[in-house]
Amino acid sequence: MTNLSLADLAGYLRQLGEGALITLELFFASFTLAFVLGVLIGVVTLSRNRFIRAAWRVYASVFMGVPSLLVIFLIFYGGSAMLAAVLGEFGARIDISPFGAGVAALGIVYAAYIAELVRGAIENLPKGQFEGARALAIPPLIMWGRVILPQVMRLALPGLVNVWSFMLKETPLVSLAGLQDLVAAAKIAAGATKEPFLFFVATALLFIAFSAASLWLANRLEARLDRGQRRAPVRSSAQAEA
Amino acid sequence: MNALPIDLDLAWESLPALFDGLMVTVFLTVLPLIIGLALAFPICFARMSSRRALALPAETFVVFFRGAPLLILLYLVYYGLGQIEALRNGPFWIVFGSPFGCAIVALSLNHAAYMVEVLRGSLLAVPHGIVEASEALGITRRNIFLWVRMPLALRYGLKAYQNEVVSFVKGTAIVSVVTITDLMAVANSIFEQTYDPFTPILCAAAFYWAFVNLIRVGFTFWGGWLNRHNAEDVAMPGPGRLALARLAGRAKVMP
Repeated sequence: MTNLSLADLAGYLRQLGEGALITLELFFASFTLAFVLGVLIGVVTLSRNRFIRAAWRVYASVFMGVPSLLVIFLIFYGGSAMLAAVLGEFGARIDISPFGAGVAALGIVYAAYIAELVRGAIENLPKGQFEGARALAIPPLIMWGRVILPQVMRLALPGLVNVWSFMLKETPLVSLAGLQDLVAAAKIAAGATKEPFLFFVATALLFIAFSAASLWLANRLEARLDRGQRRAPVRSSAQAEA
Repeated sequence: MNALPIDLDLAWESLPALFDGLMVTVFLTVLPLIIGLALAFPICFARMSSRRALALPAETFVVFFRGAPLLILLYLVYYGLGQIEALRNGPFWIVFGSPFGCAIVALSLNHAAYMVEVLRGSLLAVPHGIVEASEALGITRRNIFLWVRMPLALRYGLKAYQNEVVSFVKGTAIVSVVTITDLMAVANSIFEQTYDPFTPILCAAAFYWAFVNLIRVGFTFWGGWLNRHNAEDVAMPGPGRLALARLAGRAKVMP
């Protein structure tokens, strides 16, 4: 049924491969941004300051309540104007690429989910962990870095895995802002060869394979992080509110 | 550039168009939610069956339609199915020939796959002893499912169901790629006419936010109504807390 020559197929496969690399880069960049932002926001917004708490509620509600695609478009179309407003003359000359808009949008949106997970995990830690660190006069930076956050990561891991796989499935949205990623390459190949079924199923399987591989890794990581526990503790319902 | 990024006149003018877009989004939410849920029940039973011949296809369905990004599913249905000659000449072309039909099919399949997992998780959370006790009382299997397992599963799974519905609503924003003018598409077309990057998209964001939070409030009320027997503890009881919550509820009734 297929009327593709081998050379053609190899060409399209190369394009798909290049697209897949861009998708992966986008995904890793935005997950890293979301993770760093999310942990920072999660720790900072535990403060008792009423304004910080109010700001957190607004931020979480807004970015959990609108589609990621909308945030991507907002930053892609309006990013230059926003930068100009913040940085003045210098910012106006910065052009927003689809890649940059995608990383910024996915990072900001998913930072909210990760911050929520981190907050939940910190609140689930026994108070004694903080009191003990204070009693031993451990400086705050070391307390967070070496005592609190490692335990938080263990508690938040199942939720983080959820965010990870959910975010992976949202990365193709950036192709709608014009990024030449895996999905865009598949669409071009599908249109040119009149074999849409083949290319879209192959793309879907690639996503599923990557997702399965990362789930396997996550299970290994979970086993490693749990090595200090006598038995796996009951998982708190830390699933991401996606 | 004025201080406010929103052009109020433009926002007021585009309100009717955005509202029409919202109605399309609501329609594309409600119909797939119903179809997806209806599909999820039989697939979930197959997935939980001990017969491999039933469980394996159901599991494959879930892995594929949950694992593939919604955008690719939509492309697959919209572009890919038209490639099949038999389908193009068959009676189902009424569905697959229109963008709306394709979007509803893709969204329903995706939602069904997620709901299979939500349902399965909730049904597995029902303590086995309750089912055994019902069997010992001679209640038929159908009635145990309808009146014992489902009501409990609904309470355990409500939060997961809410999360899925909310993320589903946000997922519908991509249907503009198959030429449907939903809320996102209306905002985009206003942007293309006016080159105002903020007003239309922020207005659409407000609509989405209101819709999503309306759903959240609805679920909160639903959860409260389901747990009205222990009004003090409105939060969803986890499997462990249920027994305690029920004891507390009885203690109030007894005196």
